[in-house]
Amino acid sequence: MLFNSLEFFVFLPIVFALYWLIGSKNIKAQNLLIAISSYVFYGWWDWRFLSLILFSSLVDYSIGRALGKTDVKAKRKTLLWISIGVNLGFLGFFKYYNFFIDSLVNSFTFFGQELSINTLNIILPVGISFYTFQTLSYTIDVYNKKLEPTKNFVGFMAFVSFFPQLVAGPIERATNLLPQFSVQRNFDYARAVDGLRQVLWGLFKKVVIADNCAKYANMIFNNHTEYNGSTLLLGAFFFAFQIYGDFSGYSDIAIGISRLFGFNLKRNFAFPYFSRDIAEFWRRWHISLSTWFRDYLYIPLGGSRGGTKMKVRNTFIIFIVSGFWHGANWTFIVWGALNAIYFLPLLLANKNRVNTNLVAEGRYLPNLKELGQMAITFFITLIAWVFFRADNVGHAIDYLGGTFNASLFSWVEIFPTTILALLALFLVIEWLGRSYEYAIENLDFMKRPVRWSFYIALIVLMFAFTGEEQEFIYFQF
Amino acid sequence: MKRFIKHITIFSFLALIAGEIVVRLTHAMSDIPQRTIDNYGIQKYIPNQDGYWKGGDHKWLINEMGWPGELPERFDDLILVIGDSYIENFMNPNECHQSVYLKEQIPDHNFMEAARSGVSLIEAMEIHKQLDSLQPKHTLIYVNDFDFFESIVEVKPMSDITQMSLTNNEIVYGKMKAPVSKKILYNWKLLYYFYNRFPINLSFGKEKPKKIENEKSDSSELQSKDEVFKLIDHIAANYNLEGKSLVFHPNSNQLIIEKCMAAGFDTIILDSSNDKDWTFDYDSHWTCYGHKKVAEQVSKALKDNILLN
Repeated sequence: MLFNSLEFFVFLPIVFALYWLIGSKNIKAQNLLIAISSYVFYGWWDWRFLSLILFSSLVDYSIGRALGKTDVKAKRKTLLWISIGVNLGFLGFFKYYNFFIDSLVNSFTFFGQELSINTLNIILPVGISFYTFQTLSYTIDVYNKKLEPTKNFVGFMAFVSFFPQLVAGPIERATNLLPQFSVQRNFDYARAVDGLRQVLWGLFKKVVIADNCAKYANMIFNNHTEYNGSTLLLGAFFFAFQIYGDFSGYSDIAIGISRLFGFNLKRNFAFPYFSRDIAEFWRRWHISLSTWFRDYLYIPLGGSRGGTKMKVRNTFIIFIVSGFWHGANWTFIVWGALNAIYFLPLLLANKNRVNTNLVAEGRYLPNLKELGQMAITFFITLIAWVFFRADNVGHAIDYLGGTFNASLFSWVEIFPTTILALLALFLVIEWLGRSYEYAIENLDFMKRPVRWSFYIALIVLMFAFTGEEQEFIYFQF
Repeated sequence: MKRFIKHITIFSFLALIAGEIVVRLTHAMSDIPQRTIDNYGIQKYIPNQDGYWKGGDHKWLINEMGWPGELPERFDDLILVIGDSYIENFMNPNECHQSVYLKEQIPDHNFMEAARSGVSLIEAMEIHKQLDSLQPKHTLIYVNDFDFFESIVEVKPMSDITQMSLTNNEIVYGKMKAPVSKKILYNWKLLYYFYNRFPINLSFGKEKPKKIENEKSDSSELQSKDEVFKLIDHIAANYNLEGKSLVFHPNSNQLIIEKCMAAGFDTIILDSSNDKDWTFDYDSHWTCYGHKKVAEQVSKALKDNILLN
């Protein structure tokens, strides 16, 4: 079920009404309702893969309980590795099996050998990368004794399958979300209104920004040989806003819906395109994934504590694995490696935490230096996005080759004025709201009629400038 | 909670009004003409309607006889053009209709269209029967393979169009499908917009069907061949074929064409090969360019063969 579908607009009010009708004192019934609703939500795509979520929940719940009963180090370690093995086993099989087989066969062919292994016709279960990491975080945190193992299986099922963030995140930590299933949740008017406002902003990002940018990004990327350099650069620009609007829009909707049900999810995006260097960008982009890798991979590997070699190795590992997490394609690996290359100079010069404050704090406009820094950071992320979007590495190289030549300085062959005007409006709103969780969080300075008119204006823009419906990009990851 | 529900209700009401205004002003959805069933059992449009096509670039028009497009100034030397949505042609302005292009090519004749989306071959024959009183000099019936399949209850049952039951050897007239719901849907533009923009997927647990392009038929094979041939024989036996030509879309099935010729139909076979695309990018209907090219081929055939006889 898509958030921007009619089915969901029927589903959500029904679940919302039932949830609060049950009453805040009946947590068990509320959790059961969330679990059932989440399974319906997921099953709308393909009910067969519900068994995977259920199995994953059962395994990690049982291992969590077993970890709680033993202090024997070797046994605890074995239990942890079983959980990692099962979860990553599923992920590896469904997502990476064919990639590895293809790569193996291609490698043998490269060295003149024929290898005959067939790939399988595997359907990738939607959201597997997200819920696998979420449930893994539970076992690892219980193993590290940061979290008490839960005895509430229904609550745990609801935690793993929580429908607002099940298929495209944010990837919640068990330490943040799971305890919320054990405490009384009361309806709070202000929180519900804030949630709806965030849902509205997320829908605007998805329907108006992402879907409209997608139309031009797809057109330019799919026919890149027909366009000049400046148009190709514009194509990458559109893709940058497509993926931002798409993914941060989804996160906003997920966080907003969770607030309607009395839950607080982690922030996933913090205006990344206003970053002044790539380190700041990665503190602001897909925060739930980058902090997951930081805590469960980078730090266990030694983080930045070792010498230069270790820093370089760990940085490459975390970025490449992060790239690979996005999909079984060399393009994602190159995208990850490229970001590592961007990031390393800052890390080695110990300048990766220079820009931790808000850009142009207390001012309406950035100064020239900040503007230049933001432009350069955005530009280098554009280059990396080309690899992320391209069908294969060759496509990306061709695309960049077509971009960076003399035709870069000729006028663009496509200039969709309306979409660019919408993007400008979007950027102004994002800039003005950059000190908040999401851009339109604080509209209390407006009187209600003005505030409601603004919301209606956003809805009207959605009707008037709605793009062709596209599935959320991150569903494929 | 009460306060929340109250505010949500008021806000939703205001948003619905604003949305309705915007959808109407921007013509985000096409206006849909209302249909009626005439005394002969044929589904046609209520006369004298007009409305905007999606985007508001042009208007469509239903004339006083209940068919799309403008009526000719005179009805002498009349050539009737009967067909489905290709001839109904709401997606193009009035000046791109077949009757207009054909009149340009053959100015000494008058052309009148009688078309509605979904018209099957048997329905086209029935439509012709009721227009006999106009004493047309010739009739062009535009068909593709689907018009044959959709004419037969046993092959593709469709309750809203006129079909032939081969088992009972009778015509089954089409019925209006959910007329009240349609009336609400087409008049409440915002609802219609949502209905189109966010199609309801009620197939729990099933993958969404993939959009497929219209497959080109293989001329050497024909599904439901016996039924289609029976239909053609029935038409030949029960309708007057004189003064009627079947205009076959490009890539129509060769077996059907040969059978129609053998049954006594005049045929005109359109050919879009070696030409740029006649159709829109987003659907299979003809653009203005496509219509012009079709009219050129049809008028040539009319001048060379049919009108001479």
